[in-house]
Amino acid sequence: MNSAVIEILAPRYQIAWYPWAVQYFFMIALAYASLWLALPGLLGAARWKATARFAMLGAMTTAIVAPIALLADLHQPLRFWHFYAYFTPWSWMSIGSLMLPPFVFAIIALAWLVWREPMLAWRDRSDLFGMIARLVTLGSWQTPRFLVVTLALATAALSLGIAVYTGSEVAIVKGRPLWNTVWLLPFFATTGLIGAGGLVLLLSRIAGPRDPDTARNMLWVVSAAAVATAGVALMWVLEGLYVENSSVAAALRSVRHSAEWRTTSAWGLGVGTALTLGCLLLLWRKPQRGWSWIVGLVALHLAWMARWVVLMDVQTVQKQTAGYLEYTVGWGSSGWLGVVGTFGLWIALILVIDMLVPWRGALGGTAGDAPDTTPDYSAKGAASHG
Amino acid sequence: MDLARRMFMGQLARFAAGASLVPLATVAEAAINEQPPRRGGDPAKRYAMLIDLRRCIGCQACTVSCHLENDAPLGKFRTIVSQYEVDDPETGDMSTFFLPRLCNHCDNPPCVPVCPVQATYQQEDGIVVVDAERCVGCAYCVQACPYDARFINDKTQTADKCTFCTHRLEAGLLPACVESCVGGARIIGDLNDPESTISKMVAEHHGELKVLQPEKGTSPHVFYLGMDERFIDRPEAFASIWDIHGKDNKELHYEFSGH
Ligand code: SF4
Ligand code: SF4
Repeated sequence: MNSAVIEILAPRYQIAWYPWAVQYFFMIALAYASLWLALPGLLGAARWKATARFAMLGAMTTAIVAPIALLADLHQPLRFWHFYAYFTPWSWMSIGSLMLPPFVFAIIALAWLVWREPMLAWRDRSDLFGMIARLVTLGSWQTPRFLVVTLALATAALSLGIAVYTGSEVAIVKGRPLWNTVWLLPFFATTGLIGAGGLVLLLSRIAGPRDPDTARNMLWVVSAAAVATAGVALMWVLEGLYVENSSVAAALRSVRHSAEWRTTSAWGLGVGTALTLGCLLLLWRKPQRGWSWIVGLVALHLAWMARWVVLMDVQTVQKQTAGYLEYTVGWGSSGWLGVVGTFGLWIALILVIDMLVPWRGALGGTAGDAPDTTPDYSAKGAASHG
Repeated sequence: MDLARRMFMGQLARFAAGASLVPLATVAEAAINEQPPRRGGDPAKRYAMLIDLRRCIGCQACTVSCHLENDAPLGKFRTIVSQYEVDDPETGDMSTFFLPRLCNHCDNPPCVPVCPVQATYQQEDGIVVVDAERCVGCAYCVQACPYDARFINDKTQTADKCTFCTHRLEAGLLPACVESCVGGARIIGDLNDPESTISKMVAEHHGELKVLQPEKGTSPHVFYLGMDERFIDRPEAFASIWDIHGKDNKELHYEFSGH
């Protein structure tokens, strides 16, 4: 510092968006990216059917948990109806509030369409599962294929809207130069794909049945998405070199003056590289593919961390006072409790669906086709968790 | 067109030239993130503040009176005077620099179009206000303001900020900070009235007035006289207050930092 300036007195405010925001952005990205991974299978690609089964489970559960996390990030959650009473077409957040419910309902409807097919076989059962199946399937008609295809395409269209709005909402904020870049949109999407691919790998390990096509598909998806993310980051930096771009300038300033930011960048780069190499290694060495679930975990970690850095860490960079805000995540509901709570809710939702819905039999799968065997999936799922 | 607006034409033009290099961003912002029409307030007026830094003694009388007048929560401020130690480039001596900060009641306020429920809006007299009954506490506006002029009020759980004390202006009173300013550094008034003190001072000191972060294109309407260039943007400063360590060598936290 050539011109010595010492800040003696300045207010320093806590962050305004809590970890709930990270949970929302993480869950919603998993939801739309999982839908994209389910799309080829839903539209009929044979080698993607198994992938689509896992991806639909991921998409449906994250799409339900995401809005809950979003609501929790409001300081006045009970006033959420104001969004609909005072629609504001010039605000990205308002536009998002209008796009979110149709997207969530479309995903639920899509899951219902593909899951009611294997559920039909349970209608004859006399137990609780049979009762639920009779209620949920709404008649014994076969799901028409055109309906699945049409709804899948419509939901895909809605998912593009969600991807664009979640990115734009943050990218237009000039007050935080690090967010103020169009490259944030593709960044959210590609890291979302990394996470969704990882989620499918993980689900296929713990919820089975394991499927060689799924492992291969997802290893490709995750490595391609990781390379794409690196490309996006590179473009962002290159743009910063040619255009007077305050986003890159702000990033460089942060990294130069803060050890934490240097560690964070190094960690992101390291994990990303390891992830890509891991995928390629497993693609090359087929016998080792049983380890894909580890790649899945790392992928989920990277997708989550990307959002934590963008949404939380960036808020610690002061807007007009010196230094950085020392943000420590509290234990309360606006801290770790919120993070753990969202994940807990998500896992509970997966377990409930696993228990009540023979989702493995969807899209021509086999597991749900035997109505006489007692399919105690919850126990099976729980056992392989450990 | 008032003088103050003309002052920023150059800056705006420069900003526009820069933005045109990122066409995608510009398109997105023009289509959606646009300023909505202003509502309420006196359309004939344009309130603004001029702060004569040469007269500010850093006594924080404005900070305290604002806090009392507007019932802000502990540790959060609608206005506060930042204090810096700076070296004098000519003599090399250290001196103290005071910078009163508050909402700039920008002419192009980024906090307004982001609000998803139109709780934050700009009056026709230029004052930016929050309807606390409507605000959902999403804090989007807090993120959008480049000046940290907004915060979430812990008591109301809604967005809070300086309003130029509209309630006092309407009653024919001066804002609490202006009223209490010991050195008479804060001048508020109507820029549309050529006879107002602020209009005369803007005319007189035209070339010397500065605003904060002009490159953001927000067109702030709090003008500083006697401004040190180093503080127009986020100052490259050593944050001494946050670097005081206790006996256990842990950073001593600001006593209200938990809020
Ligand atoms: S200073 Fe901040 S809060 Fe005030 S009008 Fe400008 S952007 Fe809005
Ligand atoms: S916190 Fe309130 S005033 Fe600010 S953007 Fe959200 S709803 Fe609007």
